Amino acid sequence: MNESILAVRKAIDELDLDGIAAIVEKCLEENLSPEEVIEEGISKGLETVGRKFEEGEYFLADLIMAGEVAKEVMPILKAKMRHGDDNSKGKVILATVAGDIHEIGKNIVGLILSANGFEVIDLGVDVSAEKIIDTAKTTGARLLGLSALLTTMVGSIREVVDASRAAGLRDKVKIVIGGACTSENLCEEMGADAYGETAIDALRIFTSYT
Amino acid sequence: MHSKERIINTFEGKPVDRVPTFCAMVEDRTFNEALGKPLIPQEWLLTNPLARYVLDRWGKQLTRPVFQVELNRALEKRIRAQVELGFDSVWAILDETFIVLDSETMARFTGSIFNIQPDGYGNMTYMYRGPGIKSREDFESWPYWPDVDDLAHRTYRFFRKMVSKYGNRTCLFGQGPAYGIQESLLWALGFEKMPVWIRREKDLVKRYIDFNEEICLKTNMALLDAGVPVILQSDDFAFKSGPLMNPRLIDELFGPSYRRIIKAVHDRGAKYVLHSCGDNTLLFDTFISWGVDGLHAYENTSNVDIFSEKKLHGDKVTIIGGVGVDYLLTDRSKDEEVDAEVKKLIAELGPGGRFVIAPVHSLSTIPAQKLRVMVDAVARYGAYPISLS
Repeated sequence: MNESILAVRKAIDELDLDGIAAIVEKCLEENLSPEEVIEEGISKGLETVGRKFEEGEYFLADLIMAGEVAKEVMPILKAKMRHGDDNSKGKVILATVAGDIHEIGKNIVGLILSANGFEVIDLGVDVSAEKIIDTAKTTGARLLGLSALLTTMVGSIREVVDASRAAGLRDKVKIVIGGACTSENLCEEMGADAYGETAIDALRIFTSYT
Repeated sequence: MHSKERIINTFEGKPVDRVPTFCAMVEDRTFNEALGKPLIPQEWLLTNPLARYVLDRWGKQLTRPVFQVELNRALEKRIRAQVELGFDSVWAILDETFIVLDSETMARFTGSIFNIQPDGYGNMTYMYRGPGIKSREDFESWPYWPDVDDLAHRTYRFFRKMVSKYGNRTCLFGQGPAYGIQESLLWALGFEKMPVWIRREKDLVKRYIDFNEEICLKTNMALLDAGVPVILQSDDFAFKSGPLMNPRLIDELFGPSYRRIIKAVHDRGAKYVLHSCGDNTLLFDTFISWGVDGLHAYENTSNVDIFSEKKLHGDKVTIIGGVGVDYLLTDRSKDEEVDAEVKKLIAELGPGGRFVIAPVHSLSTIPAQKLRVMVDAVARYGAYPISLS
């Protein structure tokens, strides 16, 4: 493996926010393609961080920092991509469901998905089922991530599932839920496709759909 | 044995006559029920066009002379309700920490923005919206930093009155207008950005922590001057899944401040309790190393195991909590279930002392009647020596 690519992985793993830019610049000077830096360097580094998070070595703040480290160099890499290249893993719509305004978890998921090459369409908080499905129609996004913290608002998840069915999209979209009040049981009860407890779970689930 | 003696002896690991009780703040519904008062809805302030106009136009000006005065009246009712429910110790937070900006928005003076919204029971509550400080410029120009000496003075005045009214009937756990140093930082900067600030803006983060330490220290000293025997500080260090940050980093950033604050409280002969939500399992050693006397940090809906913690740390710190607010202290449970859980908690956590039975948190859904059932059950089963199987 190229030394510079390994250095990118290491910078992500060590959460080196201030050092990553110079390392990525060096990769590009060595004529490594931006795609290779993303796939072999950044994504693999994030995998290591995700594993450490799941094993309890890293904490939520470290996970966020790893996403920030990756975000730090994405503009540099995107600027070097040839026009027309699309290395996006797909569009994901993220939203906190209607009636709920909590967004920390959703934002962390967005950060991790973006850092891993997904195009994230973040609709914010307190988002109606209608808006979510309209956005899926207009953008062509087929992956939906719904966040809910308040137990009283879980019904809003079912509204999105029902709205996708009414719009004839239920077989085309994957609906993934997460947040403090959600669970595998709730996922089944609401008719969603998957439940993710952490941002790393969400990444794994959305990646499996691509 | 007097409630205060029962609580202080428990913190000191000395014998007491029965397991003491603590009430984790009661919300509007609960204290009105406890006092036999009708719930006067305030939600109309959020929907009535005239009321909204007044809040939009004069919210800031009305904050201190109207809203804070009203909130302090409500706080006194909370204290009275907890006392009348028969709790040995009660939590009182003087929440003079906010400024109403308009009919939907309030700012905490330490840099964060909250929504004003209905609580589902006809009252108003607030919910974190986001950070108020998004740049160094925002920090330098934040318009609502408080006058700390004025805060301390107001804290003294309010609690002096509470101690003289209720000090002989209960053990007051006081919290001045000072939220936790870590959670204030998190709210001010936003959790998604806080790790970057900690890395890149070390001097600013240190200034923020130092300022909040000063707020805590001065308001705590005012509480002690007023005769409050126990300081209770809320600072949520964990999520349901565990600590937000590496415990080493938490200790490095916030440990020095908390050590100084707790030492100052101990130097005055008072006790110090920390409240932290979430799964704090990895943080208990850190909290104990800061010198806390008690921990109200065992949320039953997280993965924290209060029974293991009693075995691990019950000789060093008083464990406060046990009774869940997700089911037991709701309208959905049966009285017999509350009674049985209290009996079980006392049987398992009571022996050896250093246990105060309490709701794990406050919540607007707690019926006063269920708190009565809890207190009655403690009276029935809690006498030392514990002889429950």
